[in-house]
Amino acid sequence: MNRRTLISALCAFGVTTVSATAASAAPPATRATITVFAAASLTDALQAVGKAYTARTGVPVRFSFASSSLLARQIESGAKADMFVSADQVWMNHAQKAGRIDAGSRRTLLRGRLVLIAPADSRVAVRIAPRFPLAQALGANGRLAVGDPAYVPAGIYAQTALTRLGVWPSVQTRLARADNVRVALSYVARHEAPLGIVYETDARAERGVRIVGIFSEASHPAIDYPAALVRGASPVARGFAAYLQSPAAKATFRRYGFRTFG
Amino acid sequence: MISVAIHRTLGAFDLDVAFDGPADGVTVLFGPSGAGKSATLAAIAGSGPIDRGHVALGSRVLFDSATRVNVPQRARRIGWVFQDARLFPHLRVEANLRYGMKRAPKAAQRIDFDHVVGVLDIGHLLPRGVRDLSGGERQRVALGRALLSQPELLLLDEPLAALDGGRKAEVLAYIARLKADFALPMLYVTHSPDEVHAIADHVVMLDHGRVVATGTPAIVGGARVGAEIVGRDEHGVLLRVPHGDVVPGTTLDLTIDR
Amino acid sequence: MLTATEWEVLALSVSIAGRAVLFALPLALITGWVMARTRFPGRTLLDAVLHSSLFLPPVVVGLVLILLFGNDGPIGEMLARFGIRLIFTANGAALAAGVMAFPLMLRACRQAIEAVDPRIEAVADSLGAGFWDRTFSITLPLAAPGLIAAAVIGFAAALGEFGAVITFAANIPGETQTLALAIYAALQQPGGEAVALRLAGISFGVAIVALLSSEALLAYGRRRSGQ
Repeated sequence: MNRRTLISALCAFGVTTVSATAASAAPPATRATITVFAAASLTDALQAVGKAYTARTGVPVRFSFASSSLLARQIESGAKADMFVSADQVWMNHAQKAGRIDAGSRRTLLRGRLVLIAPADSRVAVRIAPRFPLAQALGANGRLAVGDPAYVPAGIYAQTALTRLGVWPSVQTRLARADNVRVALSYVARHEAPLGIVYETDARAERGVRIVGIFSEASHPAIDYPAALVRGASPVARGFAAYLQSPAAKATFRRYGFRTFG
Repeated sequence: MISVAIHRTLGAFDLDVAFDGPADGVTVLFGPSGAGKSATLAAIAGSGPIDRGHVALGSRVLFDSATRVNVPQRARRIGWVFQDARLFPHLRVEANLRYGMKRAPKAAQRIDFDHVVGVLDIGHLLPRGVRDLSGGERQRVALGRALLSQPELLLLDEPLAALDGGRKAEVLAYIARLKADFALPMLYVTHSPDEVHAIADHVVMLDHGRVVATGTPAIVGGARVGAEIVGRDEHGVLLRVPHGDVVPGTTLDLTIDR
Repeated sequence: MLTATEWEVLALSVSIAGRAVLFALPLALITGWVMARTRFPGRTLLDAVLHSSLFLPPVVVGLVLILLFGNDGPIGEMLARFGIRLIFTANGAALAAGVMAFPLMLRACRQAIEAVDPRIEAVADSLGAGFWDRTFSITLPLAAPGLIAAAVIGFAAALGEFGAVITFAANIPGETQTLALAIYAALQQPGGEAVALRLAGISFGVAIVALLSSEALLAYGRRRSGQ
């Protein structure tokens, strides 16, 4: 293209970029949307609840699902979220200590269970008990798919449970550590790993896996999902927080396999 | 004896060239720019396609469209010198010289390394890199490299065109030496009448892709210069001819206008 | 100066990035040559496809790799018959990093080949050198500086690659936990910034060493060819 066309193209590009930046920097208060940061394992359930809420009130709800550690960090650095739902108390404590949480609004929203899963067509049979032969069940090359025990709540629970059962040392070097529990789930569903440890709710949502066993609640701290408003949340967000405690929402959560309170 | 008959469609016109050249000595392809001289060389070398025709070196057929003979370029035993030397920049002078020599069949080795180096006066350049050679030095190395590949025919495509006046004369003298020392037919392309008169044994004139005349160098008109009488001795008149490209020993035909 | 864990992570990173370059560079060279020297219908489309890992999100590339090379994937199944498993292994991490680094190496290789005057190759032909002879005696030596640059760029890109590696190879300390993954994991933990910073410094150091080595190599090459 000749020089003039090139220059006009560059100008058009520059103008577009500048105006797009200006538009996205518009204060969010002028648009009534609720932004919720939530742990990945809540994806399906929360989206259903959010849709119901929008149908009722006309207020759109935007979700960002990721590992709780990442979300806590983002909130810590000032991300514009209205609400945080974490997969454990640790990361909620972290965000609260950083002064970003409206402590008065904090509630324990849900409780979950930890399960051992295998691919749907696998015929492995393992009973979860003290010192159960988990390493042998993995076979010669197989790895146990888990969320990274260094920072993913599901992984931390898994390590705790396996440690209390006396099994951790035998599988410690045989893990496939995923960045979030959904990825661990897909490793098992796709036969990349013969066994995995995820939340019961994740296992129920994925048809490619079946539950081999359920970890007793004695083997790990309670898997609690705390929810709280972020400081500076828009007033509309309080409505959503209240809705999460409503019978309708609780019924939806229970349908996905969570336990609710009250 | 070189025997060439080439028909090829170029862009602006067709190349339709047929001529024979002597088995040794220099045949010059002469004509204006764009006459098809370089394309003819490319066709003979095997790097340019020929639609139909026939190229033979003595009894060796290199190309024949009727019998579907097409010897690949690297097997034709033809050396090629360009106006921009095209030396291998990552090799030293000696490695450049030996490149073709190493790849020529053992049986054909008759042109000797030291002989060529001696004739072209490039012995002192052997260990040098190629980057800082002068234009004239480069062309001499290029000539040596082509010669040492043991060719049966040497193609020279306007070898002096990129050189300035003094260098032209110098390199032309070396080419004359090569002609004297090695019994090798050469096909030399130029549009300069002075080079024709300096080196040609036989001339083929080309224009618009066709042969328009063949013969001795006399068929090419020379340049007109004004000469000045600067003295007289018992043998005749002494003349100053102000034309730097004329090589000492050249015979001039003078027409005296009063 | 460095802890034992840090040495292990560093050594693993360098090994994986090195393997990535080893596997991607010949491919980049061949495709670069094809792109530089040939014309055929669909060439532009092929060019776009070869560059796709440049504009796709790295996690998506990781997922595609799982689809192809995972235990259920067509290539994965074929390799499994020879006892080769790539997913969750260091070689798998190298594959993921190599795929992400490939477009950069391809560009550099292509430019390196394009910089070699085809007329010089034609001269070599007239002097009796066939295609492979020419390629090894003329084209590759002349393209060498550009090819070294391609290797260095590829190494740097592979070293820093995160999304595709963690998706395809997971985070396995001692097996696939490269510097990039280790930095990420450190940052995920409360108070892990100090560790992350140290690891980032080590990454930077490796990149500098790679750059200086390539400069030294180029200078040596230049001296050897008498320039």
